[in-house]
Amino acid sequence: MYYIIKELRSHSGRTIAAISGYFIATLFILLFLSLTKTNDETSTGILKGTGTHFIVYVPSNTACCVSCDTDSSQGSLFAEGVNTIMLTSDVIDSIKNISGVKDAAPYLLYKIYEPKFSSDISLGGISMNSIATKNNVCAPTNLISGKFLSGDPNEVVAEESFAQAHNLALGDTLKTYGGKLVLAGIVNSGIKPGKADLYATIENVRNILKNELKCISPGFDLNIVLVEVANARNQNQVLLQLKEKMKYLTISSYNCYQPASDVMTIMEKTSGVLSILIFVFLIIFSAKTQLTSLMERFREIGILKSLGWSNYMLSRQILFISLIQAFIGVSLGILTGYLIILVMNSYHLKLFSQLDFQFKYASIKLLLALSLSGGLIAGIFPILKLYRTRAGDMVNKFM
Amino acid sequence: MSGYKIECISLGKHYTSRNQPVIALDDVSLGINGNEVTLIKGRSGAGKSTLLNLMCGLIKPTQGKVNFNNVCINELDDNSLSKLLSDEIGIIFQSFNLLPTYTIYENIELALVPKGLSKIANRDNVISLLEKFNLKSKGHLLPWELSVGQQQKVAIIRTLAKQPSVIFADEPTGSVDDETAAEIMEYFKHLKEEKMATLILATHGNIYEGFADKMFFLDNGRLI
Repeated sequence: MYYIIKELRSHSGRTIAAISGYFIATLFILLFLSLTKTNDETSTGILKGTGTHFIVYVPSNTACCVSCDTDSSQGSLFAEGVNTIMLTSDVIDSIKNISGVKDAAPYLLYKIYEPKFSSDISLGGISMNSIATKNNVCAPTNLISGKFLSGDPNEVVAEESFAQAHNLALGDTLKTYGGKLVLAGIVNSGIKPGKADLYATIENVRNILKNELKCISPGFDLNIVLVEVANARNQNQVLLQLKEKMKYLTISSYNCYQPASDVMTIMEKTSGVLSILIFVFLIIFSAKTQLTSLMERFREIGILKSLGWSNYMLSRQILFISLIQAFIGVSLGILTGYLIILVMNSYHLKLFSQLDFQFKYASIKLLLALSLSGGLIAGIFPILKLYRTRAGDMVNKFM
Repeated sequence: MSGYKIECISLGKHYTSRNQPVIALDDVSLGINGNEVTLIKGRSGAGKSTLLNLMCGLIKPTQGKVNFNNVCINELDDNSLSKLLSDEIGIIFQSFNLLPTYTIYENIELALVPKGLSKIANRDNVISLLEKFNLKSKGHLLPWELSVGQQQKVAIIRTLAKQPSVIFADEPTGSVDDETAAEIMEYFKHLKEEKMATLILATHGNIYEGFADKMFFLDNGRLI
C-alpha cells in the first residue's frame, strides 16, 4: 500500500487528471440524475395523468329506461348522443377490481326536450369527491362563479356555454325536469366525455327521474361509469381487460393517453441512454487515463519486473491505483454535487426557472458502484498490456 | 549462495525494424559455470546487452534457449520467472534504471519487496550497503540529485541487496569516472574471491580482463 500511495503522490499531475475525470463525470451524472427525479415528478407526473380517464356505457335503441312508464318525449338516458340502458352499481365494483384502475364512479346523464328553451336540456348526476368524476365530467375546480353543489335538493350548476346561451344568472330558477331547479353556480369543465348542460348530485337526479319523470328502475341507478386509470401507460391494458371481462360495454376514450405513454417511454429511454452514455464516456476516459499512465510508467514497470515484481503484484498495484482514483473522484463528485444542489435549493434556483435539482440518496450507491466498476474496467486494459509484454521490452522500448 | 550453471544453446534474437530484418544475436551457444566471472566483450552494437537480456529472461529469444541449472528459463511461467528474478538474479543496467520519483533508499528497497522480507530486515541490509559504498547520507535523495557515478553505485547496491546467485552487469563502469570504476571493480573482485555469485559482465573495455575466468567475444551478434 505504501508504494501505491507513493505512486499516486509521485505523479500528482497524472493522479489529479484521473481523479478529475471521475469527479467531472460523477458530478455530471449526479446532477443529471437529480434532474431526472424532478422530471419524473413534474413532467412525467403530468404525462402519467394525461388521458387516464374514459367512460363506459351500454347503448340502446330504447329511450328512457326499460321500466320507464312514459313515452320518449319525456326524455332519455344517453351518452355521446345515443340512448343507453340503466346499469347496476355492481358494474362499478367489477371495474374497480380491474388492476390499474384508480377510481370508478357512477354517472347518471339524462336529457329531455324543453319547449321553453326550444332544445334538449341535459342533466348530469355526479358523484362528489371522485377523481373519475373530476376528469370525466366536472369538479369544484371548474367553478367560475357561484358555488358548487352542496347536496341541497333542486340545486344545480350550469355549464358556462349553456348559461350564456339562455341568459341564465346565479340564483335563477329553471322550471324543467318536472320541478324547479335553482342555479347555484356556473362551471366551465372544458372538453369532457360526460359533459352536460346542468349538473346536480347523483342522488338528486335519481330522485328527479324517479319522482318527477316516473322513470322507475329499482336497483338501476346509473347509466354511465366514469373510470380513472392510475397511469397513462396502463390504460391500454385496462381497456383490454375491461373489454375481455364485460363485452357488452361500450368504452369511450380520448386516446390521448397513447401519446402521453409514448412520450413517457421516450423520456425514460432517453434518460437511460444518456446515463449509459455518460457512464461509457467515464469508463473510456478512465481506461485511457490508466492506459496513458501505464504507457508513461511502462519503463518503470519494466524495471520493477526485472527486479522480480510479478505481474500479479504489478496488476494489483495498477488496479488499486485505478480504484483509489475512481473512489476519490466519485466521492468528491458526490460531495460537490450535493453541495451544489443544497446551495441551489437554499436560494430557490431552478434550471430554466422550472426544474429544481433534487438530491437522490440512492444515486450515492449507484455512483459508488459505477466508480468501482469503472476503476476495474479502466484497470483491465493496462493489466492486459502488462501481461503481454516482457520486462526487457518494457525497459528497452520505452526509454 | 549456490553457484548457478548457465547454458545458452543456439540462442538468437531477430526482429524487424522499419520493415528491415535485424539480427541482434545469431546462434550463440556458451556455458558458464557457477561462481565464475565471465566477460562478454564486443564493440557497441555487437549484441552484448541483447545476450544479457536473453540470459536473464528479460526478453524471449526467437531461437534457441537458456538453461539455468538445466531449467529452461524461456519456458517458465510468469510467477516462476519473477521468483527467479527476485531471488536468484541481479541485473545491473547500463543506464542504471533507477526510478526517478523514488528516493535512493526506496529504489534499493523496491528490489527487496518481492522477496517479502520484513521492513526492518530490509532497512538494515540497505543501510549497511549504503554505508559500504559511502552513500549512507544520500538515502533520502532522489536519483537526479546524485552524480552519475553515485547513481551507478546505487544500481549496484540495489542488485547486491538482493544477494543474488547470478549477477548480470551491463557496462557497469561504462559511464563512471576512473575512481568510481576502480571502487566498483574492487567490489566485484571481492565477490569473486568470496565466491558469492556467478558474475557475467558485458563490456567493450579491458578493465575486467584481469580477473575474468572466462571471456567471450561478440561481433555482429555472433560469437567469435
